[in-house]
Amino acid sequence: MPASSSRSVRRAGGSLAKHATLIVVSVLLGFPLLWMVLTSLKTDPQSLAIPPLWWPHPFVWSNYPDMLSAVPFWRFVLNTLMYAGVTIVGVCISSSIVAYGFSRIRWRGRDVVFQVMVGTLLIPFFATLIPLFTMYKHFHMVGWYLPLMIPTFLGSSVFSTFLLRQFFMTIPESLSDAARVDGANEFMIYSRIILPMAKPALATVILFQFIYCWNDFLGPLIYINNPVWDPLSLGLNLILGTYTTDWPWVMAAATAATAPIIILFFLTQRTFIKGIAIQGTGVKG
Amino acid sequence: MQVDVQANESPVAPMTVASAPRKNSLRSSRRRALRLGLLFVSPWIAGFLLFFTYPFFATIYYSFTDFNGVGAAHWIGFANYVNLFRDPLFKTSIFNTFYYTAIELPLSTVAALGLALLLNMNARGRAVYRTIFYIPSIVPIVASCMIFVWLFNPAAGIVNDLLIDAHMPSPDWFFSVAWSKPSFILLGLWGLGQPMVIYLAGLQAVPRDMYEVAALDGAGPWQRLRYITLPMISPVIFFNAILQLVLCIAYFTPAQVIESADIGGPGTSTMFYVQYLYEQAFLFLKLGYSSAMAFFLFVMSAVIMVLLFRSSSRWVYYASEQQ
Repeated sequence: MPASSSRSVRRAGGSLAKHATLIVVSVLLGFPLLWMVLTSLKTDPQSLAIPPLWWPHPFVWSNYPDMLSAVPFWRFVLNTLMYAGVTIVGVCISSSIVAYGFSRIRWRGRDVVFQVMVGTLLIPFFATLIPLFTMYKHFHMVGWYLPLMIPTFLGSSVFSTFLLRQFFMTIPESLSDAARVDGANEFMIYSRIILPMAKPALATVILFQFIYCWNDFLGPLIYINNPVWDPLSLGLNLILGTYTTDWPWVMAAATAATAPIIILFFLTQRTFIKGIAIQGTGVKG
Repeated sequence: MQVDVQANESPVAPMTVASAPRKNSLRSSRRRALRLGLLFVSPWIAGFLLFFTYPFFATIYYSFTDFNGVGAAHWIGFANYVNLFRDPLFKTSIFNTFYYTAIELPLSTVAALGLALLLNMNARGRAVYRTIFYIPSIVPIVASCMIFVWLFNPAAGIVNDLLIDAHMPSPDWFFSVAWSKPSFILLGLWGLGQPMVIYLAGLQAVPRDMYEVAALDGAGPWQRLRYITLPMISPVIFFNAILQLVLCIAYFTPAQVIESADIGGPGTSTMFYVQYLYEQAFLFLKLGYSSAMAFFLFVMSAVIMVLLFRSSSRWVYYASEQQ
């Protein structure tokens, strides 16, 4: 059977090419993080050696405690956790209520209003920033996290509302009808039936809001002007500006900021990927 | 308006079906649904009025004044706009943003789609590859700036070491006027996990039998990509392109991080539009002037969006339209 054997050879060759491509791309995309970790374990002269020293020799673990004690790293982390914690509460409450209104109740104009909400995603952040900043300044709120927290209680996280709405729409209407027959009002249906069923969707929302806060640079840059309240992102920027030429320290800081997020990603990978894929589901016809 | 009148007439909260009169006319039950719906959506409506409507009109107003955040705002007509178009840095910032967008948008589309196509080949160990491809996009932005400035360090960076070994030109990357923008583009191309996952979901939704029929008709891989995959996922391409475009127009954080740490972006070579706006507003407190920039930004992005949505009818294929 020469035909089938040539086909299987070709298939094996194709599979080899496939894996070779995947591996090359993986190395390209993974290398920056590997190099970050390797640099963070070198001494200063080692990191600058020419030709480059690939493997730290010896491993300088002390870069980490040294860096962590030279800057208020834990303070940055605490500030970030507080920012994330409060906004997670805000997003979970307001986005789920709003999403309920956009999915479980039929009212005239609902879909138009929903489209307006999604449309706000296209408006550049800076197009509305200046009056907002002036407003918060007028109420003496600039300097701390209130300007970043308040909007989350008013449904500012369009992504979360969108995601919860998609989930709510999959819950059969008959459940609500049964509850209505039993005399439950709309708020009871929301809080006692729909919300408990939406735990997986809420988990996704919490995860994304946490990562958003962990990485948010722009919001704190505008509103936080006291280094005591700096979140991790501004703290890292400070470290970068202060220890610019001390690459092992800078890389130790980058590693310390990145590791928790990557660990979280590994623990929650499925929730994660599903959550992003759902964003694309609104697109289809 | 009518809704409010009705709300005043009837008992305040006929929220439960059970308490409502049995012989509800269709109209009043619709009205109740409207009231209920608006009640649930009201947090967002309040936010929309407070965080979009008010600042939108206030921005337009400020843009015609000399507002500086402290004193009263004086009406100065079109002076801010006239000055904007005489401001060479304003033009530079538009050029830089345009440069970045014009290269980053197509490259990121091709790259994210390419990654998704690679993952969609069903190779063994796909989950591992997907994880590796995705992870760069969750690295905190400041950390990824740190990593890239270090990788591309002109003197001691590993990239230039490798380039010199390969007898290739080794530019100064972030430190060079000519190479700073391409450096930022490379940085942007590292974190495409989000569009990649959305593309992957789109690819997996393409019906398998379409490929089987095409294969029977003798269509090769390229033809299948060109005539089945791309048309079928064109709505996803459109969606991702818009998201990416919004990010490009508002490109700010990496440039701000790297320039504020003084480790790249020489001169005005990476002064992007929104960065210039930020500088004028928060460093020089020229709030009137920067409001004019903000309104111009809004108009420009609205025009681009409208053009993009108009063009979409020509190249975006929605399967449901055919039915």
